[in-house]
Amino acid sequence: MTPDSAALAAPVPLPPFWDEMVDGRGSIRPHWRGIVGMLASLPQGGLADRARRLDRAFEEEGVVTILPADPGQGHVQRPWRCDPVPMVLPAAEFAALEAGLSQRAALLSEILADLYGPQRLLAAGLIPPALVYGNPGFLRACRAPSPPLRPIVHLLAADLVRTPQGQWQVLADRAGAPNGVGFARENRRMVARVMPEAFRSVQVRQLRPFFDHWVDSLQRAAPSGAENPRLALLTQGAAHETWFEHVFLSRELGCALVEGADLTTRDGQVFLKTLKGLQRVHVLLRRVEGRLTDPLELASDSTLGVPGLLDAMRAGGVRVVNDPGSHLAEAPALAAFLPKLAEHVLGERLRLASVPTLWLGDAASAAAVLAAPERWMIRSAVDGAAPAQHPSVMGERARAALLERIRATPAAFAATEAVRPSAAPALGEKGLAPKEMVLRLFALADGAGTWRAMPGGLARLIGEGERLTGRLPKAGIAKDVWVLSEDRADIVGPAAFALPPLAIRRASGELPSRVADDLYWLGRYVERLENAARLLRAVILRLSRGWLLPRDLAELRALAACLADAGIVAPEVAAAAPDGPALPRAMLDVCRPARPVAQVFDHVGRLTRGVRDRLTADMWVTMMHLAAEARERSAAACQGLEELNEAAAAIMRFSAGVAGIAAENMVRGGGWLFLDLGRRIERAAHTARDIGRALDQPLPRVEAGLRLAVELCDSAITYRSRYLSVLQPAPVLDLVLADPTNPRSFAYQLDAVERRLAEVQGAPEGDLARSAGSLRAEAEAMVEAVSVAREPAAEAVLLPAQLAALSHQVGVLSDAIARRYFSHVPAAQAVGVGEEQAAG
Amino acid sequence: MRYRVTHATTYSYGEVVDLASHMLHLTPRPLPGQVVLAASLSADPAPVRVTSGADHFGNLVTWMFVETPHDRFTVTLRAEVEAEFAPPPPAEATLPWEQVSAAASRAEGWRAAEFAWPSAMAPADPGAGAYARASFAPGRPVLVALLDLQARIRRDFAFRPGVTTVSTPIAQVLASRAGVCQDFAHVMIAGLRALGLPARYVSGYVRTRPRPGQPRRQGADQSHAWVGAWLGPEHGWVDLDPTNDIVVRDEHVVLGWGRDYADVSPLRGVLLGGGAHALSVAVDLDPMQEEFAT
Repeated sequence: MTPDSAALAAPVPLPPFWDEMVDGRGSIRPHWRGIVGMLASLPQGGLADRARRLDRAFEEEGVVTILPADPGQGHVQRPWRCDPVPMVLPAAEFAALEAGLSQRAALLSEILADLYGPQRLLAAGLIPPALVYGNPGFLRACRAPSPPLRPIVHLLAADLVRTPQGQWQVLADRAGAPNGVGFARENRRMVARVMPEAFRSVQVRQLRPFFDHWVDSLQRAAPSGAENPRLALLTQGAAHETWFEHVFLSRELGCALVEGADLTTRDGQVFLKTLKGLQRVHVLLRRVEGRLTDPLELASDSTLGVPGLLDAMRAGGVRVVNDPGSHLAEAPALAAFLPKLAEHVLGERLRLASVPTLWLGDAASAAAVLAAPERWMIRSAVDGAAPAQHPSVMGERARAALLERIRATPAAFAATEAVRPSAAPALGEKGLAPKEMVLRLFALADGAGTWRAMPGGLARLIGEGERLTGRLPKAGIAKDVWVLSEDRADIVGPAAFALPPLAIRRASGELPSRVADDLYWLGRYVERLENAARLLRAVILRLSRGWLLPRDLAELRALAACLADAGIVAPEVAAAAPDGPALPRAMLDVCRPARPVAQVFDHVGRLTRGVRDRLTADMWVTMMHLAAEARERSAAACQGLEELNEAAAAIMRFSAGVAGIAAENMVRGGGWLFLDLGRRIERAAHTARDIGRALDQPLPRVEAGLRLAVELCDSAITYRSRYLSVLQPAPVLDLVLADPTNPRSFAYQLDAVERRLAEVQGAPEGDLARSAGSLRAEAEAMVEAVSVAREPAAEAVLLPAQLAALSHQVGVLSDAIARRYFSHVPAAQAVGVGEEQAAG
Repeated sequence: MRYRVTHATTYSYGEVVDLASHMLHLTPRPLPGQVVLAASLSADPAPVRVTSGADHFGNLVTWMFVETPHDRFTVTLRAEVEAEFAPPPPAEATLPWEQVSAAASRAEGWRAAEFAWPSAMAPADPGAGAYARASFAPGRPVLVALLDLQARIRRDFAFRPGVTTVSTPIAQVLASRAGVCQDFAHVMIAGLRALGLPARYVSGYVRTRPRPGQPRRQGADQSHAWVGAWLGPEHGWVDLDPTNDIVVRDEHVVLGWGRDYADVSPLRGVLLGGGAHALSVAVDLDPMQEEFAT
């Protein structure tokens, strides 16, 4: 177990960094000439303009969050940024890197197969037990008498730096659930959009075929016997920092995007809970940390996993890639042993070296590092995600403390040579300048025992003041990676794996229950915002009149009651005199943070992110613009009624925009059904409630109530065109409650609800659809009673109690829908770990 | 000694459980010195799927998946086991403890090395290390020191059920000097690991001797736990029961071992539904010869 002796040799004075674009004699390297020529042909300021357009493109695509992060979520999502100048790799160099990556992936796979199987490498002393048994990434539950299915490392990412001598070396292996492929693809899409001419200057290999191969290799990974294997990407959900990548990937790979709670295991198989029951999943592309994937056998407090997943894996019912235990291979100290392991396991020399790394559990290595700590960066021996520490830039005291910790527990540390990475040209404030960078490349198992590298990658610039660490720099700017093609006829055929023809699927049943739930509530919340905006506008209209007639006061009282019902103002405000100071003061507070309007916006933001994969890019961009505008206006709404009025108008534009987008862009399948269902249910509930409040008047004031009912239902024009200006109870109530052609009427909502439910239930006579129908009939009966009454007005003012009850019934129907269709099985709970105490 | 083991665990739930998955470390492990003549697990309601296998430590594991809605779940182990473990080597003849510690960090000790690392429930607690160190004078033969340590634990700690739960940290046990077998095992394991000595947590049962003239109390027994300690490559492992201050010979039945309780928890599970729950456990370890005598 002696370390690489070369790493212990005397320090060599470092030459300056390697410049990717310019060679030692100051001339442009050949593979950069095409792109440099193209850049030179841009007009003055052209590149900076492209950079701005790139930023904007990412922002518009929503590679930032649609709305400000939920309060209390803790992390602010930064916009993704990409430098307009790509990082260029010549064909021959990439071929060497690909061969090296492929070998590393094979090696790490074999190492993992041994460590999760017979552990011969430990017995032979080729890997110190500390790196396995002292490693939280070693998931004992994944070790089985029969070794796991190969290849364990389905997709490997490696972070590389180029030394001043020009050698690419691996800084970190990402074997667990490597991120970045989706972002690499987005970079390429955006750069191609804003700099199309660049791709005419050189021959760049395309990324799309890599995704075809990926789908192909996932299909091949399916358990045998699966004819049309179903793939799913297991994500941690919309709050996770790589959520957008998961959305891109699920789209590129054509697989379902699922969270742990969407899945269930039955008899050694894994199923997706959908509206129409359980649907088998054969391959899970795992993007959840391995130890969180099965609360039964791994971290019992995980809510992100699927109980019984490991059992299903052992039973051969599902394939999970990468294997949950594969994080183990990310241990930084493992790099010290890879050269010998390559010889032992593969019988080959390691083709792609690591940045020289020592494991400090070895006494000679620890002594060497303690003697010259400034030459090294210090990392956890086992945790590849932990940041590295740099003694060369640490203060005296911090450095002494670090060295003390190393002396106390040397086996917990690894040291990696503090290499100076190469620099590639990047756009700065003063034009192009060389910036240091780390290159992440990806290798994918092709099912035949070798790995294929993505002809591209993700380069990240190391920002000012940032140090090279064991992981990709957190912030900073990315670079698209161009792999040049020597062969101009680099034509890639279709995926090698011929799929059986896909059966045509149109049913809404494929929709995961959780997504249906999210869309349903998205619909409800957007409608709730719209209703709030309508009420606010009606109040502002009256408050801004110079003097208030008794009629105005009656209407204001009813409106304040509506606002209180909606939770937008306090009940005391509704009880106070409408011409007093309480109502105007309360109005200025309604849009403040943490009040209902802002909260509903937060919900809308969260839900929209959660259903991001159901929205097209255009829908997303439109919704984001409108939502941002509405939020911005709302933020200013505390300044005065004028501003509040503008906020209300912006909210209504947002709501109308969402409705329009949904109507024009969403397939009338399950997703749209539930979005619309939510909207109709919400509108039905508050229409009944608000009309009830409007009619809650003494008999002489009934006309004011009717006028308000028409106004709140946006039906004044229709009413005038039918009945001129005479307000009478029966025609008004018919228009707002029973008219099936008025899209604001109660009956219209329930009619739509009935039809959606019939569609979802797949039967016109479903019980939920019938309930919706009977609610509509109730409203019709109310109108009928008023129209045949001898004193219609007297009859109308008796309706408020019935309408409140009707509104409540809509809520009951909503609960029934939720129980039937959404995954509101109670949350999983763990028992037994630490309950039956060994008390003997 | 031949034993009949019955271990019944019942969960009662406040609300109906729709789906339950359970993982059981509840089958005695065949060992040199322990012959498992018969062992069966039964569950009510009956699981729709039962699988079994061996875990990383070689313990026997059973998985049960229940899809019948239920508000009560009972698992019962019934086994017949013949237990007669070989006596340990003469304590004075064992290696000085420092050599055992050194051997655990060399290639030859790679298997034992796993148990020298801290684990969540037996962490590298400096208090436990300081407590254990008093028994480990320089150069002392390891088994002499181990026997001294377990005698001290028996003397210094009060056996008091109910003052700890399974999640009580050992620092608190060290402060209060009271607990149950699991606490004592974790304290001893953590202390040994602090000295670089491999130590493992053993789950199983101990017979409770009836008082003369009294019948054996049914259900009075408990799940038991003790400590496996490594004596070096030559002598391997010895099991020590600090709760009773005895070397494990023929009064114990082993279910399995791990780094700490969490690796060999007899029954753990994930439920959908269930609400609040209550647990009741009944263990009987009857020597079969005594049945013949009556």
